[in-house]
Amino acid sequence: MPKSINVDPGRTRLPDHLELPDIPVHRYDTPFAEELESHGRRSLVELLRHMMILRSFESGLAALKSTGKFGHLEYIYKGPAHLSIGQEAAAVGAALALTPNDHIFGSHRSHGEFLAKGLRAIAVMDEADLTAIMEEHDDGKLRDAVTARLDCRGVRDKAERFLLLGFLAEIFMRSNGFNGGMGGSMHAFFLPFGAYPNNAIVGASAGIATGAALQMKVERRKTIAVAMLGDGATGCGPVWEAMNFAAMAQFDQLWDEKGGLPVLFFFTNNFYAMGGQTSGETMAWDRLSQIGAGLRRDACHAETVDGTNPLAVADAVARKRSLLMAQRGPALLDVECYRYSGHSTTDVNAYRTKEEIALWRLVDPIQQMQARLTRAGVLSTEQATEMQAGIEKLMHGVFHAAADPDVCPRVDPASIGQKMFSDLKSPYTGTLPRPLREPESVPRLRQTAKKTRRGRTASGEPLSPMRAMTLRDGLFESVLHHVLNDRRVILYGEECREWGGAFGVYRGLSDLLPHDRLFNAPISEAAIVATAVGAAIEGGRPIIELMYADFIGRAGDEIFNQLAKWQAMSNGHLSLPVVLRTSVGSKYGAQHSQDWTGLAMHIPGLKVIYPATPYDAKGLLSAAIACDDPVLVFESQRLYDKTELFADSVPEGDYQLPIGVPDIKRAGEDVTVLTIGPSLYPALDAAETLSQQGISIEIIDARSLVPFAYDSVLESVAKTGRFLVVTEACERGSAAMTLTSNVAHLAFTQLKSPPRLLGSPNWIVPGADMEEAYFPQAADIVRMVSEMMANAGGHRRDSERLRLARCGL
Amino acid sequence: MARVAVKIPDLGNEVTEAQIDSWLKSPGDMISQGEEIVAITTPKVTVELEAPASGRIVDILVEPDEIVAVGTILAIIET
Ligand SMILES: Cc1ncc(C[n+]2csc(CCOP(=O)(O)OP(=O)(O)O)c2C)c(N)n1
Ligand SMILES: [Mg+2]
Repeated sequence: MPKSINVDPGRTRLPDHLELPDIPVHRYDTPFAEELESHGRRSLVELLRHMMILRSFESGLAALKSTGKFGHLEYIYKGPAHLSIGQEAAAVGAALALTPNDHIFGSHRSHGEFLAKGLRAIAVMDEADLTAIMEEHDDGKLRDAVTARLDCRGVRDKAERFLLLGFLAEIFMRSNGFNGGMGGSMHAFFLPFGAYPNNAIVGASAGIATGAALQMKVERRKTIAVAMLGDGATGCGPVWEAMNFAAMAQFDQLWDEKGGLPVLFFFTNNFYAMGGQTSGETMAWDRLSQIGAGLRRDACHAETVDGTNPLAVADAVARKRSLLMAQRGPALLDVECYRYSGHSTTDVNAYRTKEEIALWRLVDPIQQMQARLTRAGVLSTEQATEMQAGIEKLMHGVFHAAADPDVCPRVDPASIGQKMFSDLKSPYTGTLPRPLREPESVPRLRQTAKKTRRGRTASGEPLSPMRAMTLRDGLFESVLHHVLNDRRVILYGEECREWGGAFGVYRGLSDLLPHDRLFNAPISEAAIVATAVGAAIEGGRPIIELMYADFIGRAGDEIFNQLAKWQAMSNGHLSLPVVLRTSVGSKYGAQHSQDWTGLAMHIPGLKVIYPATPYDAKGLLSAAIACDDPVLVFESQRLYDKTELFADSVPEGDYQLPIGVPDIKRAGEDVTVLTIGPSLYPALDAAETLSQQGISIEIIDARSLVPFAYDSVLESVAKTGRFLVVTEACERGSAAMTLTSNVAHLAFTQLKSPPRLLGSPNWIVPGADMEEAYFPQAADIVRMVSEMMANAGGHRRDSERLRLARCGL
Repeated sequence: MARVAVKIPDLGNEVTEAQIDSWLKSPGDMISQGEEIVAITTPKVTVELEAPASGRIVDILVEPDEIVAVGTILAIIET
């Protein structure tokens, strides 16, 4: 309880100074003999072999990209190739210190990290497990391709080929690639080896890995998540949000299970972010590790280590991992290394000198490691050459197989649509979570219990929100049911705990739920959404709240690129059962009042609902929480206190309403009026006025926007012949536009007049006193309906609309 | 000696009613100004009302769970 932490000016105002911890820079000095002793000779030779595999794999790709040839293979690969040639030690060193159950989340330049993690997992997992993994993945299709085309000596050997072929097939976007060809070079992952999604958005993995660590902490797993980021990612706001989130004081101060999140921010620092130099040009830090000190008193145990030596990297990662296991996370590593290859294959190195590249070649990770092993008498030069030759041969085999459409079939583009949503539900089967106290003893519940479940008096008058179930109560009851019956469900967002969410939907839940199920997030919308994505990937079912829909912009990438896209990009290997609740405001002006359902609807991969009644809110939210797909829930602030005016009553028990089915709220004959969200209510008022003029409108509440079944709307239009959509969103590019255009297309022959759209003007939302002039009111609906009734025959040219469009309005 | 009323305050233009959650004091208790006396709930929030004056609580007029309008007198403090 924040109330238990008193902010005492007597203490905060005392003179003091801050001491920040020492941040070690290149302090690794373990003699090689000791490393040999602790890891064993075989393991260190394997380390070298893994680095050679990484380089050989990427050299093959580089050859294909630049010449269209690799050995005898001719193949045009059109996709991206952000190569990490030169950085192998960072990837392989990190993998050495991780277990298969530790999860890495990488970047656009993560071929090496992916392979290193996979190779290491293959080296340490049981053969029986490896066999089962190959058998189960994609019904054994990839394994069959491996056995058909590549010589394998034993299970591990086969698993390595499986890793290489599955990865290259994915890079070539073939149907038997690890993500069914839906991810490609920058997104490939393979969960069984702990290689979790790589991300083409710089820095995006920081928040997702943090969310994974959150889920690991909640489940008290003994594993860690690693965000593999570039040095350039330190310039990204969402990365800072994630690091702060991971290091939040509440984990130590308020949670039962103490300790910051078990996440390692692993910065592969190659000194460049494309063509910009980080240290010295685009960043404020001179040594990346110093940013740890900006986050927390313990500087997140930050260190700068030598990324040209896999043993220095492994040593550092192992030490950080121990800290995380001791609940002292998060940790941060600055792993200095260098890529010889360009940023991408179009890079002409305009930003760096040949001399610089030559200097780094002198500290090449592979040559150095080989020299160490040779000096120690572990591996002769001939043996090393032979090893290298074997890898080259293998790589040619893998590339030929991956390029061959008979072995790695191309994706049928028509199948992509089926991957957007799973439409599945995964009911909870675990033990029921124990609330902190009896729900019946919580005042909020006692109050709700006293309310009537009907929204009107016997004579039809709407009841006051103190006496009858409101939309807010409906949402509350749905959330309550799920948190009490499903341990996977967790709730967070800004002011979600004691405040009960920005608009009190969760009020009372802090009496029932411990901090690891309901907590206050920092004002970090990007981290709130990104961590939810990460937690969901790890099996959690987060319900997150963004105070205002207008703040979606602060989490744009996280909602539109991550939450929306990962189910399809993973070919269904990931499900993202995240519910994002957000409120649509009013009265606070332009930055707090906009209905952004149109944005949400535009981006493929998100289900979108906008309930307007208590009954619908409860049933639709329950459906959203139960379903495995990501759902955005828009809630109008003006409707939170609405009581039920349509259904007989709001049922006490949990129930689900189908997402995507609009609902007829008032039957009528002359005009079909489809409303989105709160526009239902002015439409009802308009219906009363119009009925006095002898015009009857049929009001259909959209309730959902994605998916959307047009059937009842089309049936209605077939009857009325006239169609109007009403929305509070500004018209251009709105959800209503899409609905109008589809109805025009689908019901063209039945329409007696052009379908119309009544929304808000394409302006900023004005202040409270001007809102009536901005949002469509009942009178506006009456006017438009009368107009539609009047010009049944044809449609005059709307010159005012033309003028506005010309002005950008 | 004066009698001071404890009322449901104006809680914003949309809130017209509030519910009595629980009494934190009983009739006869001494209370000092600023001390919390009663918890009330509106559709959005639960708030604890503070005593407007120091003195003895002589009367409590509304039972827990009752819903009353803004401005209703809940209790009387004799200073
Ligand atoms: C949000 C975002 N901005 C820009 C880009 C384009 N881009 C791709 S990689 C890159 C440089 C990243 O530098 P760094 O993080 O140091 O990784 P490196 O490329 O050095 O591995 C940029 C600007 C992007 N993918 N995502
Ligand atoms: Mg870089």
